[in-house]
Amino acid sequence: MKRGPRPALKNGLLRYLFVIAVLSAALLYGSSRSGPDLMPHIREIFPLAASFEQSDGIYSAFSDQNDLLGWAAAGRASGFGGHMLVVVGIDTTGEVAGAKVVEHRETPLFFRVVRSSEFFGAIRGRSFEKVNYEYSDIVGVTGATRSSEAIVAGVRNAITRVSGPKFGVHMPAPERPFEFGILEVVVLLLFTVAVAAARLPDSLREVLRWASQVTGLLVIGFWKNSPITIAKITSLMSGYFPDIQSNLSLYLLIAGFMLTVLVLGRSIYCTHICPFGAAQQIINLIGGKNIKLPIWAARLMIMARNVIVFTAVVAAFITVQPALTSYEPFATLFALRGTVLQWLLLLVVMVTSLFIHRPWCNFLCPVRTCERVLQDIRRRSTGLREASDGVCE
Amino acid sequence: MQLFNSGFFWFFEGILFCLAIIGLKVWAEDRSIPMPFWKWIAFAVWMVLFGFTVAFIGTSLGENEVNAAVKGGILFGIIVAISGVGLWRLIKIGIGNGEEGTQTGPEERPA
Repeated sequence: MKRGPRPALKNGLLRYLFVIAVLSAALLYGSSRSGPDLMPHIREIFPLAASFEQSDGIYSAFSDQNDLLGWAAAGRASGFGGHMLVVVGIDTTGEVAGAKVVEHRETPLFFRVVRSSEFFGAIRGRSFEKVNYEYSDIVGVTGATRSSEAIVAGVRNAITRVSGPKFGVHMPAPERPFEFGILEVVVLLLFTVAVAAARLPDSLREVLRWASQVTGLLVIGFWKNSPITIAKITSLMSGYFPDIQSNLSLYLLIAGFMLTVLVLGRSIYCTHICPFGAAQQIINLIGGKNIKLPIWAARLMIMARNVIVFTAVVAAFITVQPALTSYEPFATLFALRGTVLQWLLLLVVMVTSLFIHRPWCNFLCPVRTCERVLQDIRRRSTGLREASDGVCE
Repeated sequence: MQLFNSGFFWFFEGILFCLAIIGLKVWAEDRSIPMPFWKWIAFAVWMVLFGFTVAFIGTSLGENEVNAAVKGGILFGIIVAISGVGLWRLIKIGIGNGEEGTQTGPEERPA
């Protein structure tokens, strides 16, 4: 008697259970790690202090004669990749004794740019009120806007914690304006056009697709450098939701991506909006070739991609540093910032794009893996099967 | 580094450049590929870009800026590779179209 395959194995449910179990364990491990020790940083801010006392999150620094030198407190803020912790010291005259970033989850290359800016040196010796209201010079450090804004917000939060109880100055937190600019308009427009174009004739649809891709390349890529990355996905998966006022475009992109896959069965983001996909498509147009890999090779590479993405997500959860696992060469192309490995990866992808259709999207992109998972969820819940074989059209 | 500052090096460089241009001309004539002026201009621009890339890598290494040499080399290398393939496709335009009138070389006489 012929026995059929076991349903759980056939449907790949065991594989999903394994993935969920490993990711949950990694997430638990990462979240169980103790927070950073503030004392070494506070000692650096008050080098003459011999002893410290801590009460309600405020550290009082005393000299060896037991004279009060000042206070220090930590301020938390939302950065690009996750929470950021900044320690600020204020002496008894109300001048800022120093500030240090204790913990951050920013992309190291971008954070280095912010750290090397003049901000930390400029606020030392200034009154805390002046720093709180006037010093925002660091905001807008080219290519690292979110990180620089987070540092300023962290400094302000730390100052606020000390200023009320110790100086009797209650400073309201500055209001964060809701950012709805060109980037957000473009993202909304691109999704709308792509969905609406589905009913148009093929030729017009193709023209609109190219227009969308070029717009995405210029605005989301070269101008704003804001494509969806694995760091952003893992940040959201690990429960870090950056404030919507400054990150509306990210939420629009992620929501648009997920909705189109779950409703339409394919990712509009990948085919119409992704700037890196557009770059590959344009280069492929110049190359004029589309070499098809053998099925076994394509499947092997897709499997390798899934393993890479899985490993990166697990590493991000364990280290609680999503930005470190962002292996995409997006910033390398759009902001000319990246490690040597990312530069080499960019070279390989760009040159390969001349002869192979969207090699990054098909064989390395983490968003593509997410799309496949969402498509599988859709298939299981609706019973519909996609025509896609896992390779970008 | 003395070599690169010497007249001999630039004399040799000029010979190589001329050989590349003559080589392209002969190669195109052999295959009846029409070479109007705009193809020569595109080729010259690409050669300048290629030369700039090599010079960038060379001068960066000469100043011990390995990081700049690697990153700049990759960036300009990508641009040279992509534009090179584009140029190749441009040069091949017109094969078999019988655009003799646009050829820059001497017209072949019937035997």
